[in-house]
Amino acid sequence: MARRTKIHVGLEIGTHKTCIVVGEVKADSAVKILGIGETKSAGVRKGEIHDYSQARACLKDALTKAEDASDVEIGSVFLAVTGAHITGINNRGTFRLPDDEPIVTAEHVEEARTIAREVHIPQNHVYIHPIIRNYWLDGLEHSTSPMGLFGKTVEADFHVVHGIGSRLQNSIKLVREMPLEVDDIVFAPIATAQMALDREQRERGALVIDIGGGTTDYALYLGGVITASGCIPVGGDHVTNDIHLVTGLPFSKAERLKITEGDASADPVRSVGTAKLTDERGFADVEINRAVLNEVIRQRLEETLRLVRQRLPDNAVASIGAGIFLTGGTSLMRGFHELAFEVFGRDIYRPELPEISGIQASFKDPRYATSIGLIRYAQIFDTESAAPPGIFGRVARMFWPFVK
Amino acid sequence: MIPYHRDPRQIIPSTAVKIIGLGGAGTNMLERIALDGMEGAELLAINTDIRTLGSCLAPEKIQLGVNLTKGLGAGGDPELGHQAVLEAEDAIRAAVTGRRIVFLCTGLGGGTGSGAAPIVTRIAREEGAFVVVFATMPFAFEGRRRRDQAETALNELVVLSNALVTFDNNRMGELVLAKQGIHDAFLAADQMICESMKAVIRLVIRPGLINVGLDDLMSALRTNRSRCLFGSGIATGKDRATRALRNALSSPLLDQGSLLKDARTVLVHLCGGEDLTLFEIELLMQSLQKFVPEEAHVLFGAAVDPAMGDALSLTLISALPEDSLAMAPRDSLSSASRDKPLPDPAPGVTPSSENEARTVEPQLESEDLWKPVTTPAPDADAPAAEKPASPPVVVAEFVAVTKEAPPEACVEAAPDPQQTDEEAERNAPGPGSSGGTPIPKKRPAGATPWSVTQGPKSLQPELAPIESFVLTPPLEPEGPKLKLGIKPVTPQSELSLDSTPRGRFEGETPNVIDGEDLDLPPFLRKKK
Repeated sequence: MARRTKIHVGLEIGTHKTCIVVGEVKADSAVKILGIGETKSAGVRKGEIHDYSQARACLKDALTKAEDASDVEIGSVFLAVTGAHITGINNRGTFRLPDDEPIVTAEHVEEARTIAREVHIPQNHVYIHPIIRNYWLDGLEHSTSPMGLFGKTVEADFHVVHGIGSRLQNSIKLVREMPLEVDDIVFAPIATAQMALDREQRERGALVIDIGGGTTDYALYLGGVITASGCIPVGGDHVTNDIHLVTGLPFSKAERLKITEGDASADPVRSVGTAKLTDERGFADVEINRAVLNEVIRQRLEETLRLVRQRLPDNAVASIGAGIFLTGGTSLMRGFHELAFEVFGRDIYRPELPEISGIQASFKDPRYATSIGLIRYAQIFDTESAAPPGIFGRVARMFWPFVK
Repeated sequence: MIPYHRDPRQIIPSTAVKIIGLGGAGTNMLERIALDGMEGAELLAINTDIRTLGSCLAPEKIQLGVNLTKGLGAGGDPELGHQAVLEAEDAIRAAVTGRRIVFLCTGLGGGTGSGAAPIVTRIAREEGAFVVVFATMPFAFEGRRRRDQAETALNELVVLSNALVTFDNNRMGELVLAKQGIHDAFLAADQMICESMKAVIRLVIRPGLINVGLDDLMSALRTNRSRCLFGSGIATGKDRATRALRNALSSPLLDQGSLLKDARTVLVHLCGGEDLTLFEIELLMQSLQKFVPEEAHVLFGAAVDPAMGDALSLTLISALPEDSLAMAPRDSLSSASRDKPLPDPAPGVTPSSENEARTVEPQLESEDLWKPVTTPAPDADAPAAEKPASPPVVVAEFVAVTKEAPPEACVEAAPDPQQTDEEAERNAPGPGSSGGTPIPKKRPAGATPWSVTQGPKSLQPELAPIESFVLTPPLEPEGPKLKLGIKPVTPQSELSLDSTPRGRFEGETPNVIDGEDLDLPPFLRKKK
């Protein structure tokens, strides 16, 4: 059954930028990016909104830009959320079939899924995603539902992402005030992984680390399924802040130094001499010892990566086959590859964005990975939830083929 | 200003306070109180079991049932506990004679606690004391029988005692994180009881600007078959009024303030440093109104204590009919543990105020600590010498820090030389010139408590009368030496952490993972 073209919109309210991506999913599942609306964020800190009205103004601006660029009237979006309060845990639900029923039925599977989803979470938390990892039937792994098979015990393995309800509600409220509908909220690294990893990489084991302005989000895939996800509230802002605190330079100059001169590798060759910033008249403005600058940056980023590593399950790093995929603005830092290799000892990639037609060059940018990943997520979400139309639907489509 | 003597009848000397620990649980609580340093009040341990009694720290001990149980416990039988206490009635009567306030701490459900508590309460009442009973209820898993025993004893205590504060062991989980040790849980419970006791003592003993006394306390706690609601909070800094209230409400006995909505009488006691403003009080009372029903009788008291620095402490006491308490929803574990109100707020609320310092004998640790650095050999009784000796900036900081610091640290930590040095430096130019010393941004200019010369000028007009109270001469010459726990010293590292600039993330809640504040540069953190 051929599907029609569908337009999805991804929205990420990041610490540094608010970004709306409008994408068209064609009938052959190829994604075409129609336009991007991007604006600098204000009022967001460590991935969470702390100044509501500023954040709203930014979102409004990004929305206008995205609608202009794509020539689409945006009605609903997929929203990426992040923040230190969001965590993912794995849980397995076991259901033993009644003695007189040897064949697994849909109800049995559903029961196992329900049990698996009932994770003990703090009272003020809500579920964001219950993601099915795989099923087990009498100790044997099945990647799809074992419905109709013979067996005694059905188990469902879930990765449950949860976060503080009120904070998530505020993000949703912000979007609804535009007014926009929220199709679904997605934990940012999961969206990023949709973009960064293909099926084979997930099978072999891959870790996506999205180092943005205020947070570092990660998602680990092993054996094709998500195994761990989470957020560390440290990002590029912290690097700037560190430079500011150590050297006493103002934020704007610390930021410029970080972008133009900073290097995260421990390579001593790159830490020789002084780094200079010149003002608009060409005079030397700021001078700083490269060794200090690089050391400040390196220690911050190294600590962050080590925190990620520490949070992964035991032995997980050893089973990463495909490698580690870095995205997010801070991953553009010079020498970051070397540093990440030093910490994890695995292949390090910055993802190449697959099969996107359109003005490709500007989208081959790790900073957009999450937003574009949202389109992918939307596409998968759509495929999973779209039931084949019934008889009425088919009749209706003969007359009006544009309905879903 | 002309100092005048306050009518001594209003005030209860703290020698008239007796704290009794009854039974095994009561003895444990008493031990915690002794360790937390309520040296002034007399401590008395009463138990049937000679082993626990022998190891108890309390200076006074009475063994129950010398002939009946022969030094063994009551074996969980209240009848045995009842009989045992009757044997020792005279000894107990002698111990409580002449005491104005008696606090009885006990764990209900067992033999000695349930059996003897009503009798001890009755004896103390007969001797004319105001009796406040702090009782813990048994865990649910201890079974129906113990629960019933506890309930029976509780019913008697409600009638006999003047005030009853119960603490349900089942709620202990809310005091500590799930993964913390059982030891911590019991410690936290004991601490809370200890803290409630201190607050009651403070209220009754210390005269304030707007005074609340025993009479107010009694009317706050006067309902038939009531349970006491208690919350105490302390905060410093800009929005200290709201934060103090929040801390007070996060007490597990208050259920985030939701229990207050049924209260008929609420006693609110505020204590702040010299920079306590009327506006703050208004602000705090306004936000409190949201939790207290409109028709409730609010008994309000306020006191000014220079030793508070820029901290503000709030104590809420109320009583609730027992049936409405049973229906109240349980507080969530996470929210209670997040901002844990327990770790001893004593340093902040300590009444080492000027008048207190003289009511109380000058052996407060703080005095000892500060004396040598300021004036060569100041007589602590002389007001002029004391004033410059009161803590400079550090007060505010340790008040804030001890809230998180484990209480053991407070007890054991010795006066930190570094801190003293710091003070010496600040005080070096002499009290008069202290106006020129750097003052942290947070502290309003009028709040420099160590400067005598500057004081009256910089105080805000409505606080002017405070000075007169502050300079009131000794009320009780012989000086009851109630030490309401000044434990000013905390590990220095925490102090320095607090004062580190954090640039863009200034003023946010610390971003702590594995004990490291991620908002500070690793470059600086790792170097240490």
